[in-house]
Amino acid sequence: MSEYTVVGQTVARVDAVEKVTGAAQYGADVHPPGMLYGKLVRSKHAHANILSIDTSAAEKLPGVRAIITQADVPSGRRVFATDKVLYLGEPLAAVAATDADIAEEAAELIHIEYEVLPVVQDVMAAIKPSAPGLHGDATKDGPNRRDINAQIRKLSREKEADHSDEISALEAELEKYPDEVYYNISAESHSEAGDVEKGFAESDVVVEDTYVIPRVHQTYMEPHVSVASADSSGKVTVWASTQGPFAIRSGIAGTLGIPLTQINVIGTTMGGGFGGRFGVIITHVPAVLLSQKTGRPVRVQMTREEEFVDGRPAPGCVIKLKTGATHDGRILARQALAFWDSGSVSGASIGSTIRVRGVYKIPNLKVDAYGVHTNKSGTAAYRAPGAPQAIFAGESQLDEIAERIGMDPVKFRLMNMREEGDAVPAGGSEPKVGYKETLEAVADAAGWWDREAGENQGWGVAVGDWTNGCGPGGVYVSVHEDGSVRIFHGSMDITGTDTAISQIIAEILTVPYKSVTITRGDTDSAPYSTGSGGSVVTFTMGNTAKLAAEDAHQRVLELASERLNTNVDNLELRAGAVHVITADPPKSISLGELAAYSLSTTGGPIVGKGSFARQASTPALAAQIAKVEVDPGTGRTRVLKLVASQDVGFAINPMAVEGQIEGGTVQGYAWAMMEEMQYGENGNINPGFVDYRVPTSADLPTVESVIVEVPAPNGPYGAKGVGEPPITPTLATMANAVKDAIGVRITELPIKPEKVVDALKNNGH
Amino acid sequence: MAKHPVSLTVNGDEHDLLIEPRKTLLAVLRDTIGLTGTKEGCSTGDCGACTVIVEGKAVTSCMVLGVTAAGKEITTIEGLASDGALHPVQRAFIETGGYQCGFCTPGFIIAAKALLDENPARTEEEFRHALGGNICRCTGYTKILEAVMQAAEEIRTTA
Ligand code: FES
Ligand code: FES
Repeated sequence: MSEYTVVGQTVARVDAVEKVTGAAQYGADVHPPGMLYGKLVRSKHAHANILSIDTSAAEKLPGVRAIITQADVPSGRRVFATDKVLYLGEPLAAVAATDADIAEEAAELIHIEYEVLPVVQDVMAAIKPSAPGLHGDATKDGPNRRDINAQIRKLSREKEADHSDEISALEAELEKYPDEVYYNISAESHSEAGDVEKGFAESDVVVEDTYVIPRVHQTYMEPHVSVASADSSGKVTVWASTQGPFAIRSGIAGTLGIPLTQINVIGTTMGGGFGGRFGVIITHVPAVLLSQKTGRPVRVQMTREEEFVDGRPAPGCVIKLKTGATHDGRILARQALAFWDSGSVSGASIGSTIRVRGVYKIPNLKVDAYGVHTNKSGTAAYRAPGAPQAIFAGESQLDEIAERIGMDPVKFRLMNMREEGDAVPAGGSEPKVGYKETLEAVADAAGWWDREAGENQGWGVAVGDWTNGCGPGGVYVSVHEDGSVRIFHGSMDITGTDTAISQIIAEILTVPYKSVTITRGDTDSAPYSTGSGGSVVTFTMGNTAKLAAEDAHQRVLELASERLNTNVDNLELRAGAVHVITADPPKSISLGELAAYSLSTTGGPIVGKGSFARQASTPALAAQIAKVEVDPGTGRTRVLKLVASQDVGFAINPMAVEGQIEGGTVQGYAWAMMEEMQYGENGNINPGFVDYRVPTSADLPTVESVIVEVPAPNGPYGAKGVGEPPITPTLATMANAVKDAIGVRITELPIKPEKVVDALKNNGH
Repeated sequence: MAKHPVSLTVNGDEHDLLIEPRKTLLAVLRDTIGLTGTKEGCSTGDCGACTVIVEGKAVTSCMVLGVTAAGKEITTIEGLASDGALHPVQRAFIETGGYQCGFCTPGFIIAAKALLDENPARTEEEFRHALGGNICRCTGYTKILEAVMQAAEEIRTTA
């Protein structure tokens, strides 16, 4: 059926053998001669003033080579806490020693005197005036006060008329909302379309609920690690396990005042990232500082426990959501007020709150979101950052409405889904996306229409949307005398993107996939490349690779036209050789012969260049259905069936695409059912796999994946980014299935057994 | 800290080493011998990334002290391929797409090999439970199980 020979086919990945033989070099596998072991010294309190740091005992320990603190950071950018710590595990200093155990011992010997301060861990407590102010009194108005103050400002600007009466009336109005002065606010975001009040008034059914989504850790299996080596000329080499070597290079340059040309970042094979592996401060900067100070290579590697206390996990949040619809199933209005737990710094994905709009025609929408400081580490991206949380609220509530109006959840969604050209609430107009196709595909595959449920069994459905990012990248392609092709680039491969790039180039140069090899350079040797996050790689690097291959293709035709004495228009590259289209008998010359010939031409060897930065991306949809069975006695939920479909645009390597769908769905399942970073008075209390359970193969059945292909106009061969969408609907899919099974809606994740038992009890079971 | 002389056999090679009693077998394999294919994901025995075979049994090497492995036969991921040919489990992982980032893969392959050596006639459900000590964060396990079932089938039919 396919017009293509290499793209669209399942192929083994380019890194297959090294990954199954243990040969792949991950960050902690790098061991330059003379390497020292670094260790971070961490706060033992979640909120405290630092009175003193005494390193003298640690310095005397044999084997200790250096101890650094914030005083060693030239830019002054916060790498280590100085006067105050804001979370348990915040770094205060770092040591380098000849052995990992000695480094750990030395870290224990550093004596820190604290003055312990009151702690706030809960977002809803942190916004109250009684909460300790983490960064002074950062207050913001809530939605009502904000609107009233905006009106007051507007009136006071109008000088022509006297508005003092109206203004005093509005000021009196403000008094009605004393609780709407929020404390510890790190950021805010607001959007609006239509008039929600009017929309709710016109609705027949209005549902309102509060959804609580926990902070979870990306839990990539390789903890953060970097190895740095500063030589006497000032040149710094960093082996970094990171999604974005170029971002790490500029981050180190900015923090440590080192010129870009003096820093080479070598991206090592990475043990997962999921958005959490972009930070420069966590291990890379301390490793460079320690290496500069000791003149020896230094490895800084986090333990799993350190990952939990000082990683940058996905933010938890509280979303108050209200939806109104008519009896016949039209959604009229939706309003959200969200508080995102951004931890000790700003940066939670608060802008993603807008995703409560889903893929539906909602004429009236209002979204107010706040980032809130608490005594936790900062947060980072996790696979479609912010979307799983917002979509959990949106899709859970949709089922409640469907139930109240007595409509099938799939039909209700299909009826409200946007179509090409429809207005996107607070955001432009909808392109062609396979929303309905994807939902219908999962419903058919799962057997939704004739579903059966035994006692305590239930079915749940949900959809989630996400749009891949896009960023700058460069690719070179070189064709060699044996007809083989080599690719050079600088983007990190985690999930098989190097394979997709190789397939695209093989397709265009019409060579077998096996004749293509790919080299990922470091920041010294590769063209600039955006970080591997936001599902950008296949879209961006795929397009870049296509341009590079087309450039080489052009040169191939030029060379062939010289060799075959005919115009380029008469030539065609097919099956690794250039053919004269009209020649009889056939006349052709192979790529290898052309590459050999090119070496003695004025134009020189066949080198194609591709460079790309931006094109509009197209949204993608993931739709999922779960069938579960809940044991009302123990509260345990067993998944009987989990089916996931996704509009991927075009699947360049179907096996890899399925792998993304399956993996993302299981991460979503875990967020729904088991994962939660828990915090006590003094910080994180479950920093390990015993108390922070992630799923194993024993927890789940096979995930059935269904690929839907509605091409993206600007994607390579129509491909969209596939990594992020599959996690977005699963939280709601599971909650909706549990609701269907036991008749009780759980709005606070994770749906642990004890919560189910409590919910049943409260419901009179 | 005082070091102890220890001999162990890893992938058929004998190593005479001086190791501190506090070093784990994982640290000995990775740092002392330089076999870095075995991974460290938690160092608390909970993720399976460090799985190696000691005297025919799969163990998490982060939970074993190096000195206690003295005189024992150890197989790591580096020792699985023989005569340049990949082990059926390794091949199956490639063919089914049983890995993504690959960090859990050595541990999974070793754990699966030990199970298959013991009894390749398990059902998928049995393998799902038997492999419950290994965490993979990328694949969602579907393709890992496919790989293990494929390798089991091959081993059963060629045995
Ligand atoms: S590193 Fe040994 S079980 Fe995780
Ligand atoms: S492949 Fe990444 S953890 Fe398993």
